[in-house]
Amino acid sequence: MAHHHVTSADIAINGDHLDVSKVAKVKTIALAIAALGTVVSLYLLFFAPEKMRGCYSYSWLFAFYFFLTLSIGGCFWTLLHNVSNSGWGTSVRRTFENLGSTYPWMFLFGIPLLCPQVQQYLYEWMNTHRGAHGNVKEHLHHVDHLLYNKYWYMNIPFWYARVIFWGVGLSAVIIFLRKLSTAQDTDPQPTTKRLFQARFHSTYTLIIFALTITFTGFDFLMGLDYKWFSTMWGVYLFAGSALNSMAVIVLVAAWLKSQGHLKHVTTGEHFHIMGKLLFAFTVFWAYIAFSQFFLIWYAGITEETSYFLIRNTGNWNTAMIFLVFGHFVVPFVILLQAWLKKNPKTLSIMAVYTLAMHVLDHYLITIPERGISLGNINPKVFGGITPSIPGAFWGDILAFVTIGAAFVFFLLRAVGQHSLYPNRDPRILESANLSN
Amino acid sequence: MSTTRKRVYGYLAEFQSASALYKAAQKVRDAGFKKWDCYSPYPIHGLDGAMGMKRSILPWFVFFGGMTGTATAFTLAYTTQVVIYPTVVQAKPANIFTVPAFFPVMFELTILFSGFTVLFGLLGLIQLPRLNHPLFASKQFHRATDDGFFIAIEARDPKFSPNQTKELLAEIGGDNIELVEEED
Repeated sequence: MAHHHVTSADIAINGDHLDVSKVAKVKTIALAIAALGTVVSLYLLFFAPEKMRGCYSYSWLFAFYFFLTLSIGGCFWTLLHNVSNSGWGTSVRRTFENLGSTYPWMFLFGIPLLCPQVQQYLYEWMNTHRGAHGNVKEHLHHVDHLLYNKYWYMNIPFWYARVIFWGVGLSAVIIFLRKLSTAQDTDPQPTTKRLFQARFHSTYTLIIFALTITFTGFDFLMGLDYKWFSTMWGVYLFAGSALNSMAVIVLVAAWLKSQGHLKHVTTGEHFHIMGKLLFAFTVFWAYIAFSQFFLIWYAGITEETSYFLIRNTGNWNTAMIFLVFGHFVVPFVILLQAWLKKNPKTLSIMAVYTLAMHVLDHYLITIPERGISLGNINPKVFGGITPSIPGAFWGDILAFVTIGAAFVFFLLRAVGQHSLYPNRDPRILESANLSN
Repeated sequence: MSTTRKRVYGYLAEFQSASALYKAAQKVRDAGFKKWDCYSPYPIHGLDGAMGMKRSILPWFVFFGGMTGTATAFTLAYTTQVVIYPTVVQAKPANIFTVPAFFPVMFELTILFSGFTVLFGLLGLIQLPRLNHPLFASKQFHRATDDGFFIAIEARDPKFSPNQTKELLAEIGGDNIELVEEED
């Protein structure tokens, strides 16, 4: 307990900056992989034989949405920190903002999903809409009553308008908040003005965040099967997003600390709190995942059960059962220990583990739909309705590595741009002397 | 006039403020005392560390209490719903794969049993409720619930000595040092 009481003399007056040359090599490699991967991916999405194009569309969607959840979570923690008037996290807040700032870039990787050539393999409802001659609604009235009823939400112009709003809206929010925060680092008169501004603007923009995580989930993932719906879907994706973005934040903070940064301002106490949040959202994820499953299983309604019929049979079921233990039971028991959460090294191991489980979670969200949908769309090319298409997983790995490398690049770029903690924030000393 | 001698409980010393108490506690800890305690009107952050207190064993009680709850609920639900009287709803199976239906019960009993172990485990560990405490014999001690900060070092501590302990308490800033004797 007898640690040094941090005073303003310990705070770097001009900020704590990352030596950019130290990460230059990693950044170059990441950028090269991302660029090369993107070129190959564009070929696979638009010019390859049809079988590859169809399969790779799902790979791309899986990787895109996985990394999008991490970026959205960065925005969430920034907004939550501001709006809840928190003092504890000021010294790690810049890491929240840096993670959030990857959102605009990550969203750009969704551009292929806006092209009809890719959409035709993912979203069957769009095929029905596009196949209409003349009035779409009138056409739907005759061919698919469900789509006719859902027309007010599921129509192509509205879909595009929404997706553009999800991209632009949250990007504007995080860019504004990060600018507000970083501008203070060099201000010779750092008053409480920006603190109150950030708090005020985080209130209503939190709504934009909530809509984005919920409805990107609806528009990109739930729309894979237009007959299926779940009222828990948005919350389920949010739980995974908040949990795993915190895992990324833990990893970045632990890495910076191991490089001699964030000295004096972060201690085991900060990692303890972040570990507690990791634990809390592990439980929350399980609670939401179970609620979703439980209500659907209990009610036994045809439209709802399709999701679990695909995933809880055959080999996918093994993975789903593994998810229950791997994503909840094991981390729940391990993260109960307080000493583990106070130690950046052990907590980092758990953060990596949590992220690995998040990969599995999102793989099981997107990929089992592939064999079913593609077999339904074009049995001649894709060989009928099957639980999985052999060999298609290579594409999943490629898409994941491509977007993952881009994510690493943009995250490191953001980390190197400004001071690693808000050195002139009025609450920095309160945060540095945290005890919990 | 009583012929029996009164039992000595220990020394009680008053301190001026929470921070004085905190600093004094660190010195008592470093002097190697084991049977002693701090008394303050409100919780003081980090005082457990200053007193050198070990982590409580209570979490382990609660963990196993909770696990007992989970197992009890599973046994209860499985026995009644699968073994004794299978309830078939919407053609759902009544076997081990019905376990999701038992989760709410398992969850609730885990919480209930954990809650009980927290409460009763805590009461057991701090030995409450009790009818009296030897320190109540002190006339100044009631101020521990108002504006007094106290440290009491018990006579049963192996390091206790009538003179040196008193000197130590005076040295670290204790006022109104008093030898508390147990009441008849």
